[in-house]
Amino acid sequence: MAYSDKVVDHFNNPRNMGSFKKDEEGVGTGMVGAPECGDVMKLQIKVQNDTIVDAKFKTFGCGSAIASSSLATEWLKGKTIEEAQKIKNTDIVQELNLPPVKIHCSVLAEDAIKAALADYQKKADSK
Amino acid sequence: MDGHTHQHASDRRELQMARSMCWHCQSEVSGEYFCDRCVKVQPVSKELDYFTCFGFPRRLSIDQQQLESKFYELSRAFHPDFYQNKSGEEQTISLGNSAMLNTAYRTLRDPIQRAEYLLDLEAGAVKDIRTTPPADLFEEILELQDTLDEFRASDRTSDAAGALRTRLQSERATLEQRQRDMETQIQRLFGRWDALQDRGEATEQARAERDRILKEMRDILSNRTYVKNIVNDLIATIA
Repeated sequence: MAYSDKVVDHFNNPRNMGSFKKDEEGVGTGMVGAPECGDVMKLQIKVQNDTIVDAKFKTFGCGSAIASSSLATEWLKGKTIEEAQKIKNTDIVQELNLPPVKIHCSVLAEDAIKAALADYQKKADSK
Repeated sequence: MDGHTHQHASDRRELQMARSMCWHCQSEVSGEYFCDRCVKVQPVSKELDYFTCFGFPRRLSIDQQQLESKFYELSRAFHPDFYQNKSGEEQTISLGNSAMLNTAYRTLRDPIQRAEYLLDLEAGAVKDIRTTPPADLFEEILELQDTLDEFRASDRTSDAAGALRTRLQSERATLEQRQRDMETQIQRLFGRWDALQDRGEATEQARAERDRILKEMRDILSNRTYVKNIVNDLIATIA
């Protein structure tokens, strides 16, 4: 199976790799894993005035998982919380041209977004 | 088979086998895999689980010797070589049964695969139990991943690379110890599951204990996959 050009591009030049401090103001952290393949994904957002001003990820997994999370951080930047909620794994599949066996990577990325948003919300509510 | 539906669990196997008439002579099949009347081989039902296929109760501790001898016995009964001069139907059945038997044997032989399989069978109730991702383990894996990247990018002959290699080797030892600990934990869960099944209680507590065991097993098996993955990556990198 060959990876699409977009996957290869994200894999070779991952955008927004890295991490924020978990307890930093406005940071939401999503940590998810896929036990079937052992992939682990951490995705973080930094929120100011309801808008995601920055996003970072760290992924241990295959090329598709790295590309999916890299693309996700790219899309998240500049979006409001509400807009970010609407990102679907199918959008990622389409953009990256993922084959059926790699769809679970996009699901993982969507789960990571949801988890990061939920974590941000939880921290914001507890204040 | 109405009226038989409330029999004991031990009779379930016979029930499933008696689900149909013999495909050849239409008489009721009561024997295990062969028709009593015309002695033709019967297809193993796709719904039959692997434990039942081997005539084992749904327990996680399995006597390997017993498993093996049952496997050989059934292999002899189904092997396509013995059906070369039989009808096309019988050849197809022999092929299907052999394939199922091989998969069943491979699955039950390996304790991890066996546990995964049992979880699949029993999943109905545990699906709703949300497993929380082990954040600590994930942090550790991602951190280790960074070290691995650093090592890959380093000049292997340098002192820095040597120091990284030493660090990675000690990480490897720690992770492998962790894998062994998890396997011990899984063994303990096998014991708890089997004991619960042996008691055969239908109480609220028994159900709760059942769900607890399955959830713990799911968690440990998942974590084991994560650890195994990073260990493999680590070994490949420092090799």
